[in-house]
Amino acid sequence: MEVHYSLSFCLLQERNRPFQNIPLGSIVILKPHKVLIVKNYFQTQWKIYMQEGKPNLLDMGSLMIKPIQRVMKYPLLLCELRNSTPASHPDHRVLGDAFAAVKDINVNINELKRRKDLVLKYKKNDEDESLKDKLSKLNIHSISKKSKRVTNHLKILTRGESQVKDNTFNREEKLFRSLEKTVRHCVKNISFCVQHIQDAMPLALQSVRDLREISHSKDEEDGGCPETPSNASNPCRDFAAPLQRLVLTPLSALLSLFPGPHKLIQKRYDKLLDYNGYLQRSAGDESDLAKKEYEALNAQLVEELQVFNRAARGILRNCLCSFVARLGDLMLLAERAYSTVAPAPRLVSGISEIQNRLLEEVQNLNFVKDNSATFIERKLSFEKKKPMQIPPEMPRQNDTHRCQLLSTYRAEELYQAKRKCNATQELDINLLEGELVAVMEQNDPLGSTSRWLVDTGIVKGYVYSSFLKPYNPAKTQRGDSEANGTDADSFQEVDEQIFYAVHAFQARSDHELSLQEHQRVHILRFCDLSGNKEWWLAEAQGQQGYVPANYLGKMTYA
Amino acid sequence: MSWIPFKITQPKKQIVPKTVERDFEREYGKLQQLEEQTRRLQKDMKKSADADLAMSKSAVKISLDLLSNPLCEQDQDFLNMVTALDTAMKRMDAFNQEKVNQIQKTVIEPLKKFGSVFPSLNMAVKRREQALQDYRRLQAKVEKYEEKEKTGPVLAKLHQAREELRPVREDFEAKNKQLLDEMPRFYGSRLGYFQPSFESLIRAQVVYYSEMHKIFGDLTQQLDQPGHSDEQREQENEAKLSELRALSIVADD
Repeated sequence: MEVHYSLSFCLLQERNRPFQNIPLGSIVILKPHKVLIVKNYFQTQWKIYMQEGKPNLLDMGSLMIKPIQRVMKYPLLLCELRNSTPASHPDHRVLGDAFAAVKDINVNINELKRRKDLVLKYKKNDEDESLKDKLSKLNIHSISKKSKRVTNHLKILTRGESQVKDNTFNREEKLFRSLEKTVRHCVKNISFCVQHIQDAMPLALQSVRDLREISHSKDEEDGGCPETPSNASNPCRDFAAPLQRLVLTPLSALLSLFPGPHKLIQKRYDKLLDYNGYLQRSAGDESDLAKKEYEALNAQLVEELQVFNRAARGILRNCLCSFVARLGDLMLLAERAYSTVAPAPRLVSGISEIQNRLLEEVQNLNFVKDNSATFIERKLSFEKKKPMQIPPEMPRQNDTHRCQLLSTYRAEELYQAKRKCNATQELDINLLEGELVAVMEQNDPLGSTSRWLVDTGIVKGYVYSSFLKPYNPAKTQRGDSEANGTDADSFQEVDEQIFYAVHAFQARSDHELSLQEHQRVHILRFCDLSGNKEWWLAEAQGQQGYVPANYLGKMTYA
Repeated sequence: MSWIPFKITQPKKQIVPKTVERDFEREYGKLQQLEEQTRRLQKDMKKSADADLAMSKSAVKISLDLLSNPLCEQDQDFLNMVTALDTAMKRMDAFNQEKVNQIQKTVIEPLKKFGSVFPSLNMAVKRREQALQDYRRLQAKVEKYEEKEKTGPVLAKLHQAREELRPVREDFEAKNKQLLDEMPRFYGSRLGYFQPSFESLIRAQVVYYSEMHKIFGDLTQQLDQPGHSDEQREQENEAKLSELRALSIVADD
């Protein structure tokens, strides 16, 4: 008997340990990782039964319930034993202690079970419930509970700290939340970074390939070794997949585990509020319950949050290390890929010198010089300002010639040159301003009526009719000054005034002149009245009008 | 331009020998292709530079976000690790920027300059084409007059037409010769011009990646997890994750 007692006392010294590791209540709920424990338990039991030759095998349910029954029997047994022991017996005190210890065990088991139950109860996902379910849950009791909680919450907010506080919990919770934020950011940023890397590296390689194509001739390529880092797109491919596996998947999995405890944390706060509320009033059954619930939930959360945080931190660290290692490998591969094409080093300054020199050479090529965009506008004006070839000195008309003309021809045949005319075509003649001519024919061999055959008294030749105005002796004096006046606005001394229409042009107004394709026109002015160089005043077949400059092509004559 | 109606209405007269024309086409074709290539390359390089910069910016963001996390205050180890990571990322960004600048200077700028020659070339070819059309037209006119009976006005016109034809033909010949002469030279100059760029590009990349490799190698050593291979880390992660899932507070069904 005594041996039995001391043995059981020793066993009870170890009271909490075996029972805490295997919460008896939850063996009933078969979790996968607990099956092993149960299986071991069964196997040992079965062996015992086989050894002892006990034929009465129990079913699962009764087998499971046996430990619990036993544990619950102990207090009763010990209580009875103690009651039947006289107080003077040395064992009485020991029995008393044993009884207290066994009762403690039971209480602990209960509390532990409460924790698990609470967690289970509140772990249920609220999103599964529809609005209807939520509404149906509302009743007086729940509404009053909620309103009390709200009041308490406001009290805490306004009055400061609540009486019920657990610093450990607060710390753990803060850590928990910051870990969640970190992990979320990490996942997002790392995936962006990987995406960018995957975009950037192939682009760089492509540019290298293209540049190589330009900078090397075909002969070299055929003969040379395949220097192109064509296999360097692989580092990128090999980068993405392992990274996904090693870093992103664990982190995402971790991230998905975070929302679970949130609800429980919220519930714990509710319980805290309840408990806080009861603290103000006298203790009673309700306040006891609130206290118990709060403490159960709190303890459970504290314990498990610590585990959670530790593990999460470890995972985060591992993932970061993997990320860095992968990056390092990627860089190495890329370096190798580019190194296969390693050329002789050359200074940057050297490069720009070489290139500038080459570019200058290219730009010295005639076609560049002639056709550079900046030169084109200047070229037109250059051409206009080309120094006029001084025509061979021709005898000028003098009075004798004029008199001769006046006498030879009729008045209406006499014309005066409005301005200086230069011979541009064969059979043309030069005229000075104001010279008198007599028109012999009002057309030229080619049929154009704008060129007239005139006689200056010295020589006969062709002149454009637009240069001539009817000779009016009365107005000669004033006419000259008029002519001078009209000459004031810029008639440029141009050699080439004859243009031809490259393309037909349809006049859209009175001011414009219609042109046929290849029609030759005589340009009077190289700009319009507002100075716009796009429109030129042209004359053809006796008509004047503006034509677009780019429809005209130059006819150059030696 | 307005050249298109010409090509349809006028039959092609063989005043320019076929071989010459073919040579011209070939040379010009090569240069057109080169122009296209340079233009495309310029665009690609710009895209590549932008992508590089985006990458390094996002890398810096990783470490920045990590730093701003309150976890750093509580855990000294973690803080050290994150600071080291941050330094590395910032250096990566700096090197990347430098690489992009280098490439800009030695590749993209020269590309632009080279490309600026092409408009002149195109203009020159257009002018030659113009001259050719003039030449053709006048040639046709001369031939037309030659076929007519030799009367006075016709002779005069013929003479005049011939006079017109001469300078135009000479002009065309000159332009043609000039282009035929200079186009191959231009085409050939690209080799010498772009080779330094190519070399510089390669070198910039090599330097950059070797630096990066060094940085990240150092970093791996600093993050005090010596010798842990990826598999080990993966297993550790798995173990921790299952540990977490075992917790009752974590929702699982």
